[in-house]
Amino acid sequence: MISKRIIPLFLLSGLRLVKGSQFTSRIDVGDPLSQAMIYDAQGADEIICVDIDAADEGRTIVPELIEKMITECRLPVAAGGGIRNVKDAHRCFAAGADKIVVNTHGVLNPALVGELAKEFGTQSVVVSLDVKKDPGGEYRPYVFSGKQRVEADLDVLLKQLIGLGAGEIILTAIDREGRLKGFDVELYHWARSRIDVPLIASGGAGSYDDLAALFHQSDCDGAAVGTMLFLRDYDIVRIKAYLTGKKVAVRDA
Amino acid sequence: MKIGIVNYSIGNVGSVHRAFDFYGYDVSLVSDPKDLDRFDLIVLAGVGNFPVAVDRLKTLHFWDALNEAALIKKKAILGICLGMQLFGEGSEEDGETQGFGWIKGRVEKMKGEGLRVPHMGWNQVSVSDESFFRGVRARSFYFMHSYRFVPQEKGDVLVTTLYGDLTIASGLRKENILGVQFHPEKSQGDGLRFLKNVVEGLA
Repeated sequence: MISKRIIPLFLLSGLRLVKGSQFTSRIDVGDPLSQAMIYDAQGADEIICVDIDAADEGRTIVPELIEKMITECRLPVAAGGGIRNVKDAHRCFAAGADKIVVNTHGVLNPALVGELAKEFGTQSVVVSLDVKKDPGGEYRPYVFSGKQRVEADLDVLLKQLIGLGAGEIILTAIDREGRLKGFDVELYHWARSRIDVPLIASGGAGSYDDLAALFHQSDCDGAAVGTMLFLRDYDIVRIKAYLTGKKVAVRDA
Repeated sequence: MKIGIVNYSIGNVGSVHRAFDFYGYDVSLVSDPKDLDRFDLIVLAGVGNFPVAVDRLKTLHFWDALNEAALIKKKAILGICLGMQLFGEGSEEDGETQGFGWIKGRVEKMKGEGLRVPHMGWNQVSVSDESFFRGVRARSFYFMHSYRFVPQEKGDVLVTTLYGDLTIASGLRKENILGVQFHPEKSQGDGLRFLKNVVEGLA
């Protein structure tokens, strides 16, 4: 049986690991390379690295950092941040990324997802969507690290991007991000019923029970974990041991 | 013992290189097909699109050289992911493309009621021959694919993996040729031990 994945989510600003709350008030939490080696040793199932300043600054995630990471770690690494064309993606793959993550440029220009899937295969193209509930209770996508709202229906957008070749979706609830108060389980339960590719939940992991609740109530394929690992006293080994006790099918670390 | 990784600029062969480096093996990227002769184990890795891979191998003159290495010189060959799929007779990915045909069978898109495709993440393997899995404890490897090899001869199947209701041939062996659908180079300790067993047992 396929395991539920526990995925450290690395938000990067250039060569530093950072962490924010609801996409603002950000702090430096260390060196991404040494952190990656620690989580690899603890049995993390993969690592997602996203440079959250790249799109704004008109550059991509730093390929040399990916290269160092895959030299030291033996787990899959997904890389994203500022990827706006096939050439940018090529540089990330050449540096050793196993998958690429597109967010802003994939939403603003969905054709990019199609071009990437054609070149690299759908299994290597991950689309990350940041969403927030509007006052009417509808989820709306945001781009540029939560700064700009997009007038699109989330259901329609998800299906469009998957139709074009998105092989995996990371869905981030902006309001939950960095708050350690639990996932927006309702969002993931809804999304899981709408799409047929793997779905990674992101935003809100703060305790063992938040993760157990996510998997019990939504059947997501993986959970991204950030602040809980970087700023609290949790590690992958104990997270997996707890989830195993709660009958969540995680891989033995 | 010399290990050569075919460098045909598709997907990421760097991780495979570094995984063999871990044990201090003599491993290099092979960019000139004439050099294949110098290696005891040839590794064909790669993630991506089947017709694109075939086209690159032909353009770079690896196609005939690999056929000769596999069939005439009987060199040990390890295929990983798309590398294994290329061993088949053909694939339906983006139209119909012929493969090497070293192992009988075809590559087809994975389908099934409620099946999430791509097959992505860590999944268990069941093994019919233990020799390459000594010391491999958790039997869980990283998968990342939308197409699967459907072999014709049961005898060629070394490893299987259950995904939904689908039993995937996740490892194939025929004499000097071994292929796996999963990524040992991305599968932490078990993946490294598997690669070590392959170096010691196949070459």
